[in-house]
Amino acid sequence: MKMIDYFLGKATFLAINVALFSIFGIILWKIDVNTFMIVLLGLVWFAPLLLAFLLDYVKKHSYYQNLVHYQSSLDKKYLLPEMLDKPTFLEGEIVHEAIADAYKQMHEHINEYKREQKEYQEYIETWVHEIKTPLASAKLILHNRDLDYGILEELNKTEQYVEQVLYFARSSHVSKDYLISAFSLHEVVNTVVKRNAKDFIYKKIKLDLGTIRQVVYSDKKWIEFIINQIVGNAIKYSKEPSAEIKISSMSFENKVQLQIQDNGIGIGMKDVSRVFDKGFTGENGRVHSKSTGMGLYLCKRLAKKLHLRISLVSEEGVGTMVLLTFPINKALIIEK
Amino acid sequence: MSNPMSDFEILIIEDDKKIREELSYYLKNIGYKTNTINDFQNILLYVRESSSNLILLDINLPFIDGYTLCREIRKESDIPIIIVTSRDSEMDELMSINLGADDFITKPYNLQILSARIEAILKRIYKSASPTILSYEGLKLDIAKGKIYYNEKEEILTKNELKILHFLILHKSTIVSREDLMEYLWSSELFVDDNTLSVNMTRLRKKLEDIGLTNPIETRRGLGYIMP
Repeated sequence: MKMIDYFLGKATFLAINVALFSIFGIILWKIDVNTFMIVLLGLVWFAPLLLAFLLDYVKKHSYYQNLVHYQSSLDKKYLLPEMLDKPTFLEGEIVHEAIADAYKQMHEHINEYKREQKEYQEYIETWVHEIKTPLASAKLILHNRDLDYGILEELNKTEQYVEQVLYFARSSHVSKDYLISAFSLHEVVNTVVKRNAKDFIYKKIKLDLGTIRQVVYSDKKWIEFIINQIVGNAIKYSKEPSAEIKISSMSFENKVQLQIQDNGIGIGMKDVSRVFDKGFTGENGRVHSKSTGMGLYLCKRLAKKLHLRISLVSEEGVGTMVLLTFPINKALIIEK
Repeated sequence: MSNPMSDFEILIIEDDKKIREELSYYLKNIGYKTNTINDFQNILLYVRESSSNLILLDINLPFIDGYTLCREIRKESDIPIIIVTSRDSEMDELMSINLGADDFITKPYNLQILSARIEAILKRIYKSASPTILSYEGLKLDIAKGKIYYNEKEEILTKNELKILHFLILHKSTIVSREDLMEYLWSSELFVDDNTLSVNMTRLRKKLEDIGLTNPIETRRGLGYIMP
């Protein structure tokens, strides 16, 4: 707010005063009033007027200056009313109260959504744990009665989808739901491989497991979920005969990289950049098997929360390689 | 089936009746004795008086939760406890281990993994009690040393060969499919593929024949292998 702009804003008011004074001055001059008296009158008329404007300007100037400053420099602009001192002039007070009220309302509104989301998430967690009991007992019954292997496979799929739901809920939660610890990558990879043993064996997929010695800092369960999704995809899109999945790791100066490579059907050029998008199924998802397009999207989401990098390269007909990169610097792992 | 673990008794503390019965049936099937609890108000008393060697403990129980129970049991006994739960966050696992549980398995469990964990813990805790030497018609398999003996001749086996022979002897007189065999190997983190299994099988047979056995492992085409 520049002074000139302020006075230009008062132009009408000043012009009326000048006009009134001029008329008054002319009349006084016509009735032979002393010029000195007229000038004095002008001084008495305008001096307090300008002084009042000046004082008003100073007050408003400091308030609006702050307002503009905070508005441009604040990261979270809605915090504006918290930062400003209460203005000492009437219009300012009215505006200030209006903004503060809007802020408060919005705050309550958001809190309500947060509460609702939290409730929803908690319900999903409970539901997932509840559904696991009947799943477990169904699997046990099948196993004991030596029933159809096909049904068991369907149950395993159901289990995987249920797990996806759980991790989706966890990944969208506002608070941090994970626990960072040091663990050996080898251990998690082995767990995942064992979980998928049946598929490897019955689909005759060769596993080439490199020596993995690295210890990484992250949430073990989340990493297990991510690797399981990737390995699951590699199995799903494997290509007979002589299907092979290769898992290996590499250490760099400031990162550890886990490579999961398959010689499966691969992903077409136009699809490869979109595999991490939500709900994206692409050619493979449509042609080869039912896909929800959630697996890799979830991996990306979880990886982002854990400050990992996940990337994918693929060539149609040749295979796919997924890289999972763990930063070594511990400071990078914990969310700011 | 002759399981070297057959003298062990497992106590199943699980409130879901179906799971309890099926689990008990499954464990009996692979050679353990089992025991179940129906009255969840006096678990501690029951545990105190039972002669079980291992407890499978569910977390969600009526009257008392599994964590508390685990801590209470730990106060008076060192009996191995495997916590079975449908909650599977890192936090739950940490909590279980901190309360003195020996292992932690999440529902719905892979039965292969469950039995492997049970066996591993029993082996670790009751080491001396479990035989490390298996025998089959004059053939002796020393698991700890990884050697086979027959008529004063001996031969060293590789890890894969040892596991294969171990599994076949445990299931003697029944046909073992290649897939079953592979699943067993995979559960012990020996991730062999079809070709490797064939190679291991050939070498194992050769070693058995070298020490004087004739055709100890028969192939049943399309079905698998059998040690009659």
